[in-house]
Amino acid sequence: MEYYLPWFILLLPLASAVAITLTSLRKGGVAARLSIGACVLAFVLSAVLFGRDASGVTQFNWISLSDGATSFIADIALRLDPLSRLMLLVVTGVASAIHVYSYGYMRHDPGMGRYFAGLSLFMFSMLGIVLADNLLMLFIFWELVGVSSYLLIGFWYEKEAAADAAKKAFLTNRLGDFGFLLGIILVWALLGTLDIGALKTKLLTDPNALGALATAAGVLLFCGAVGKSAQFPLHVWLPDAMEGPTPVSALIHAATMVAAGVYLLCRLFFLLDVPGSHALVVIAWTGGLTALLAALMAVQQDDIKRILAYSTLSQLGYMVMAVGLSGSADNPSPAMYHLTTHAFFKALLFLGAGSVIHALHHEQNIWRMGGLVRRLPLTFWTFLVGTLALCGVPPLSGFFSKDGILALAQHGNVALFALAVLVAGLTAFYMFRLVFVAFIGPAKSQAPDRAHESPPVMTAPLVVLAVPSVLAGFWGINEYFGQQYGTRPVEHGFLATLIEPFTHAPGAALSGLIATAAGFALAFALYRNAVTDPLPSRLGLVARWLRNRFYFEELYAGLIRWTQDALAAVADFVDRWVVAGLVVKGVQGSVELTGRLLRLVQTGNLQTYSFLFAAGVALLLYFALAR
Amino acid sequence: MASLSFIIFCPLLAALLIAAIPRNFKVLFRLIALGATFLPALAAARLFLGMASGHDGVQYEEFIPWVYSLGITYHVGVDGLNIGLILMGSVVAFAAACVSREITNREKEFYLLLLLMAGSILGAFASYDLFFFYFFHELALVPTFIMIGVWGRGERKNYATFKITLYLSLGALLSLIGLLALYLQAGGQTFNIVELTRRLSANPLSPGAQQAIFPLLMFGFGVLVSLWPFHTWAPLGYAAAPTATAMMHAGVIKKFGLYGLLRVAVPLLPAGAESWLPVLALLCLGNLVYCGLVAMRQRDLNLLLGNSSVAHMGFVFLGIASLSLVGVTGAVLVMVAHGFLAALSFALSGYLHQRLGTLEMAQMGGLLKRLPFIGTVLAMALLAGCGLPGFANFPGEALVLFGAVTAGRWLVILAAWAGLVIGGVYMLRAIRQILHGHLPERWAGVPDAPHAWHKLPYALLLAGLVVFGCFPGLLTKRIQPNASRIVQAVNGPMLADSPGEPEVPGHWLAGGRKVTGHE
Repeated sequence: MEYYLPWFILLLPLASAVAITLTSLRKGGVAARLSIGACVLAFVLSAVLFGRDASGVTQFNWISLSDGATSFIADIALRLDPLSRLMLLVVTGVASAIHVYSYGYMRHDPGMGRYFAGLSLFMFSMLGIVLADNLLMLFIFWELVGVSSYLLIGFWYEKEAAADAAKKAFLTNRLGDFGFLLGIILVWALLGTLDIGALKTKLLTDPNALGALATAAGVLLFCGAVGKSAQFPLHVWLPDAMEGPTPVSALIHAATMVAAGVYLLCRLFFLLDVPGSHALVVIAWTGGLTALLAALMAVQQDDIKRILAYSTLSQLGYMVMAVGLSGSADNPSPAMYHLTTHAFFKALLFLGAGSVIHALHHEQNIWRMGGLVRRLPLTFWTFLVGTLALCGVPPLSGFFSKDGILALAQHGNVALFALAVLVAGLTAFYMFRLVFVAFIGPAKSQAPDRAHESPPVMTAPLVVLAVPSVLAGFWGINEYFGQQYGTRPVEHGFLATLIEPFTHAPGAALSGLIATAAGFALAFALYRNAVTDPLPSRLGLVARWLRNRFYFEELYAGLIRWTQDALAAVADFVDRWVVAGLVVKGVQGSVELTGRLLRLVQTGNLQTYSFLFAAGVALLLYFALAR
Repeated sequence: MASLSFIIFCPLLAALLIAAIPRNFKVLFRLIALGATFLPALAAARLFLGMASGHDGVQYEEFIPWVYSLGITYHVGVDGLNIGLILMGSVVAFAAACVSREITNREKEFYLLLLLMAGSILGAFASYDLFFFYFFHELALVPTFIMIGVWGRGERKNYATFKITLYLSLGALLSLIGLLALYLQAGGQTFNIVELTRRLSANPLSPGAQQAIFPLLMFGFGVLVSLWPFHTWAPLGYAAAPTATAMMHAGVIKKFGLYGLLRVAVPLLPAGAESWLPVLALLCLGNLVYCGLVAMRQRDLNLLLGNSSVAHMGFVFLGIASLSLVGVTGAVLVMVAHGFLAALSFALSGYLHQRLGTLEMAQMGGLLKRLPFIGTVLAMALLAGCGLPGFANFPGEALVLFGAVTAGRWLVILAAWAGLVIGGVYMLRAIRQILHGHLPERWAGVPDAPHAWHKLPYALLLAGLVVFGCFPGLLTKRIQPNASRIVQAVNGPMLADSPGEPEVPGHWLAGGRKVTGHE
C-alpha cells in the first residue's frame, strides 16, 4: 500500500485536472468538487504517510540510455524522507484550505471550471517538485508549476494587465530555468548521474568531485530558485502576478510555489555545501539583498495585495539568506521552518485580503478602505493574527522561525544580521501601516460602509489557517526538518520551547523584538488616524524611489530593448535584406540568366521538366556504369 | 495487412484510383483520401507496437530484387531510426487529409497529389535502398511545388513557389551527386544501404574521398532541412502553402534530409563526418539563435511558425553533430516530435486563416474567448514549441542539450538560451497577441471547431505530442540501439560496452517489507 500512496498523492490532482478539462469546464460546481476532493484526499493520504514515517524511493523509468561511456537515466522517482513528508503535509494542507475558500471566492465567475482545472494542474506540478528524486524530473515539474502559474495569473486573460503579467512571470521564470537547466547539465556532466540519492552518495565518498566548477554548479542550480522564488534580480514578476485571482496569489505566489525555490535549495543542499564552493555566500547575499529591497518597496505600496506580495518577496529573501548561512551547521532546517510557518500565515493574510477585496467589490487600494474592524470582524481578527505572526511577535509561530534565522545570521555574518534586524523592523512598519490604514483608521471612501463579512465558506479557511499560524512554533517543525540533515530530534516542553530563543541566542531574539516594536511604534504614530500617506511629503525623493520600486521595471525594459530586441531587429533585417535579398536574389539572377540561355528547352511545361530531370538522372547513371 | 508495403502503396494506389475517377465525384475524392491515409496510420501504429526493441536489426523486412545489373532492390523495413518517422508521417498524412476540407477547387488533383506525397515520403523513410530512398523523396517533393503554385495563398505565392522549388531542387541535386559518388566509390555494385554499411565498415573509403563526399550530402540534405543560411525558403514557402502541404512538408518531408544524414551520411562516411560535423555544429547555431531572433520579429503567425520550425531544426543538427548516444537519440526524438508539432501548428494556423482571412497577429486578440477548443490547442502547441515538459519536444531537446556537452560548452549554453529564452519570448508573445487580451469587434462571430469530427485531426496530433512527451521511453528504447551504432561507427566501439539493462535501485517495498532507499 505504501508503495502506491505517493503515486496516488501525485496523480490525484492530475486526474482531477484532466477530468475537469475533458468533462466539466462549463460546470463550475462539478469542477470545484472534483478539485477540492482531490486536494483534500491528497492531504489525508499525506497525513497517513506522515503518520507512518514512510521513507524510501519509488520510481518509474522515463528515459534510460547508456553505452560504455555515458549513461543518461531520467526516472520519475518519488522520494519520501523527513523533508518531503512534512512538505507534502504543508502543501496539501494549506492548499485544501485555499481550495475550499476558492469555491466561495470564484462562485460567480463563469470560468470557475477552468480555474479549478488550473489549480489541480498546479497541485500536481507542485507535488512533483516536493517528491522528485531526480534532477531532470525536478526540472520538468519546475517548468510545469511555471506554466500552471502562467495559466492562473492570466486567468482573466481579457484584461491586458493580467495577460501581460502572466507573460512576464513565465519569461522571467524561464531566465532562471535557463540557468537551472545548465546547472543540471553541468552536474550530470561532472558526476554522471541525475539521481539525487546517487549524487548524494557520490559527494559523500568524494566531496571534491565537482572540482573547480563547484561554485559554478551551485550558482547555476540556485538560478532556478532565483526565478521561482523571485529573488533579486528576477524579483520583478511576483508583484505583477497579483493580477491573478486572490486565492491563486495565496496558494501559488505566497505559500507554495514561490517557496519551492527554498525547498529546492534545501533538497540540493549537499550540492551547494561542498568544500571549495562559494555558492552559499552568493545565496546568502542574494537573499539578504532581496529581503531588504522588497521590504523597502513594500513601505510605499498602496495596493493591499501588492504590499503582501512585497512582503512575500522579503520573507523569501529571508529564507534564501538562511540557506546561505547554514553552511557552518550543515543544516538548513531554519529556512524550511520559516517556509512552513510563512506558508500558514501568508496564506492567511492573502485570504484575508481576498475577503476584504470580495467585500469591497474589487477595491484594492488601502487608501479607499478604513474602519473595516466593525464591518469585517472575523476577517480583521484573523488578519491581525497573521500580521502578528509575520512580524514575529511571541509566542506566535513566526517569532520562532524568524528567530532561528536571526540566530543563524548572528553567528554567521554581522552585516547580514544587521540587515535581517532592519528588515524585521520594516516588516512590522509596513504591515501595521496596512492594518491601521485599511482596518482600524477612519473610512476613506464610501465603499467600506456597504461592506459585509464574507460567507462561511471563505471565513472558515481563515480560522483554520489562523490555528497553525499561532501554534506552529510548538510543534517541533524545526527539529523534524533537522532529521533530514542528521540532527537528533530533541523534545521540548511548552515552556522550554517558549523561552528557548532567549536562552539559546538572547541577542538575536531581543534585537528582533526591539526592531519589531520600533516598527510598530512608528507605524502607530504615522498611520493611526492618517487619511493620506504622510511619508511622501516627509521623505520626498526617497519615497518616490520606493514607490517606483527603485525603477527596476524601467531599467529592465530598457535593457531588453537594447539587447535581445535589438539583436532580433538586426537578425530580421539581415534575413530580409542580406540573406534573402542579396544572396538569394543573386542566385535567382544567375538562374534567370541560365534560364534565358536555356530558353530553347524552357517550355514552361511541367512534363518536359520532369522528363528532363529523369533524363538527367539516367545520364548520370549511364556515366556511372560506363566507367 | 500491416505490412510496410501496404503503408507505402495504399496511398499511392489510391492516388491512381482518384486519377481514374471523373472529377464530378468530389465527395469520393475526399473519402478515398481519408481512407487511404487512415488505414496506413493504423498499420503504422500496429508496426510500432509490434516491433521488438533492444536491437538494431531491420524488422518487417521486404526484399524484392529489381535491377540486378545495378544492384537496385525494393528493400523496405523498419528499425529504431525510422519507425517513429513512419508512425508520425502516417498520422500527419491522415490529419492533413482531414483538414483539406478548405480546398474547394480542383479537389481531384489536390487529393491525388496529397496521397502521392504521403505514400512516397513514407516509402523514402522505409527504404533500405539508396535508389528508392532518393526516388521516393523526389516523388514526394514535386507535389509540394505544384500544390503551393496552384492552391497556395498570398501575394507572394509565385515568388515562394519559385524560391522553394529552386532551393529544394538544388538541395536534392547536391545530395544526388553525393549519393552517386558514394555509390561509385563503394564499388558500384549495390544500392542496398545495409550492404553498403557492412562493406564500408569493413573497408572504409579513403579519408580524402569521405571528406569530399560528406559535405555534398551534408549541405544537400541540409538545404532540404533549411540549414542556416539556406533557410529562407522555408518560412516563405510555408506561409504561401495550402494547409495540408505545409503540414506534410514541414512535418514529414523535411525530416528526410535529417534522416538521410543519420541513415546514410554519418554511418557510411565516418571520417567525413568527423571532420565536417563541427561545421554543422556551428551552422546549427544559425538556426537556433539567429532564426529564433528572426522569429521574434515576425508579425504574421505563419512566418513565425515557419521561422520557429527552422529554429527547431537546429536542435536536430546539434544532436547529430554531438555524435553522442544521448544527443543522437535526442535528435531522432526531436524529429518525430517536431513532425507532430509542425503539422499541428500549421493545421491550426490554417484554421485561423480560413476563418479570419488574415494571420496578422496585431489584428487578432482575445480569440480564446471565441475559440475555446482551437485556442486551447493552439496555446498548447505554442507552449510545446518553446519546450514545455509534457510535450514530446521537451525530452528530445533536453537530450540534445545533455548530449551536446561533448560538442562544446558554449554550444550548450547558446542552444539552451535559444530554446528556453528566445523560444519562450516569441511563443508567449504570439499567445499574448492572438489569444489573450481584448477581442476586437470584427471577430465576435468567429466559430470554433464545431464537433468532434472537426476536432479529430488536431486532437490526434496533440495526442502524438502528449504521448511521446509523457512516455518518451517508447521511442528512446527503440532508437537507442541504432543511435548507439551510428555513434560507434564514427567514434569506434566503446571501451567497456555493457548493453545490459541499467542498474535499477531497489523498490522501497519489496515482499511486503519496507526497504529504505539509498540514503
